Amino acid sequence: MKKIIFFLLFFSILGLLNGLSSSTTFASSSYVLPYPSSMPGGISYKIHLVWEAISKYWYFGDFGQFEYNLKESDKYLVESKTLFEYQQYLLGFNALQKSNEYFAQTLPNLEKAKTNGKDIASKREQLREAAIKHEEVLQKMMLETPTTFTWNPEKASQSELPIHQRIETLIQTAKQYE
Amino acid sequence: MNKIVFFLYVLFLLCFTFFSYLFIDPGLIYLRPLFTNFHQTHRMEVTSIFTLFIFLSFIFYFLCLHFIKKNQLTMKHICMLIGITAGILVFAYPAIVSFDIFNYIATAKVAYFYHENPYIIMPIEFTNDPLLLFMHAANKIALYAPVWIFLTRIPHILGFGNFLLTLLQFKVLVGLFYGTTVWLLWRMTKNSFKIAFFALNPLVIFEIFVGGHNDIVMMFLFLVSAYFLFSKRIGKSVVSFIFSGLIKYATLILTPLYVVSFFKTMSQKTFFFWATVGMYCIFFLSSLREEIYPWYGIWFLLPASFLVGDNLITYVSLAFSFSLLLRYIPFMLLGTYFGPTPLLKILLTFVPVIVVLIAYCLKKQRILR
Repeated sequence: MKKIIFFLLFFSILGLLNGLSSSTTFASSSYVLPYPSSMPGGISYKIHLVWEAISKYWYFGDFGQFEYNLKESDKYLVESKTLFEYQQYLLGFNALQKSNEYFAQTLPNLEKAKTNGKDIASKREQLREAAIKHEEVLQKMMLETPTTFTWNPEKASQSELPIHQRIETLIQTAKQYE
Repeated sequence: MNKIVFFLYVLFLLCFTFFSYLFIDPGLIYLRPLFTNFHQTHRMEVTSIFTLFIFLSFIFYFLCLHFIKKNQLTMKHICMLIGITAGILVFAYPAIVSFDIFNYIATAKVAYFYHENPYIIMPIEFTNDPLLLFMHAANKIALYAPVWIFLTRIPHILGFGNFLLTLLQFKVLVGLFYGTTVWLLWRMTKNSFKIAFFALNPLVIFEIFVGGHNDIVMMFLFLVSAYFLFSKRIGKSVVSFIFSGLIKYATLILTPLYVVSFFKTMSQKTFFFWATVGMYCIFFLSSLREEIYPWYGIWFLLPASFLVGDNLITYVSLAFSFSLLLRYIPFMLLGTYFGPTPLLKILLTFVPVIVVLIAYCLKKQRILR
């Protein structure tokens, strides 16, 4: 009897450990995110923003727009991750918003391409891989950031930044595109 | 010109056109009924015939130059020869030498059929496109400058979505630029020997009418800019020069020459001497990027035609125009870009030029003695 209790306990602990470890394992994707680009605050970042606006027209066409939106979404996701690491929560929070806006534009452009008779199978797969990677990064981000952050500007009233709520929105968008 | 020679030349052109169809790619669905795979199964035979064609083309070329020197061939005859050559070779299968014309067609399709930016989106991204079955650089974004991409709209539209008609339109486009280049060359030189030196050169004819290479468009715009430069129309010269660079970038190496010529009056001979030197420089530098392709010979042959005479540039340019065509032989024979092919290409390119250089030096030494 003692032996049975011992085995039951042993396997229960093993199962619990397995359950705990799986809760911190994220879906992994071979999709590669870019290096962090220039960060807010410097003059180079302003030039970067101008270039971003011009690029929108350079990336014409359905596939072009898909590439552009995915590229920008990736860039802002990495930017927010880096900013959160430096506890720049307001800037990171805004970068997350931009990443989400761009990411939301990817699939509509692919659908437009499909309507125009283009084979979107490989692009759809690329988007699926990207969505998995985005979710993976966002899940990690969720663990490393506070749920909310109180932003106290010098000459304005304080505001609450619902960081986790925003990350959750992004995860939902990514899940839709997987 | 002897009627027999003329007849043999026409026969030669027809045989070559027929021969080119032995190289049809198995993936080229539009010409499937003509596919024989002969070039893969009889490598030695096709290589020997191709080599023979190169030699024959140069024999005809030197005969023409000889007849012109003897005043037995007038400008009218040269025009007729050009017309017949173009009229026959424009129907030759292009990928005997290079697949570039298919890339031009694919890039134009990306831009004007799919309405995507060819500098961002590669042809390979349109997975169901039949062009992918036979084109070779589908995984590359547009390699050429914007003015060329813009020009390709013309043959793309005139092709009406039919591949073979589009292919022909691309050849006609470069053929028209060749024609206007020859006309301008005549206007600037009034010398039929110089015209024939460039216009009847087998490398030029082969790369334009068989391969359909766009280098002639770049060189035409360069010639237009030189024409305006000597007509003291600097603004038009600058615009033409920029447009030339925006076809294939290579002529941009001549920017310092243009800057100097704007401030200092230069004779036509001096200008074209330095232009030839500049184009030779970029020709050799191209090996750093990928390799020296035979059609790059057009870059220096056009300015060199202004300097034709008993001089080193003329002999070296002639030797290169012959040896560059020999570069096709190793791949044709071995069917691989690896192994001994790169070394053989280098040897075939430079040995004839070195032989000509030695012969030239010995000749000059003898004259000095």
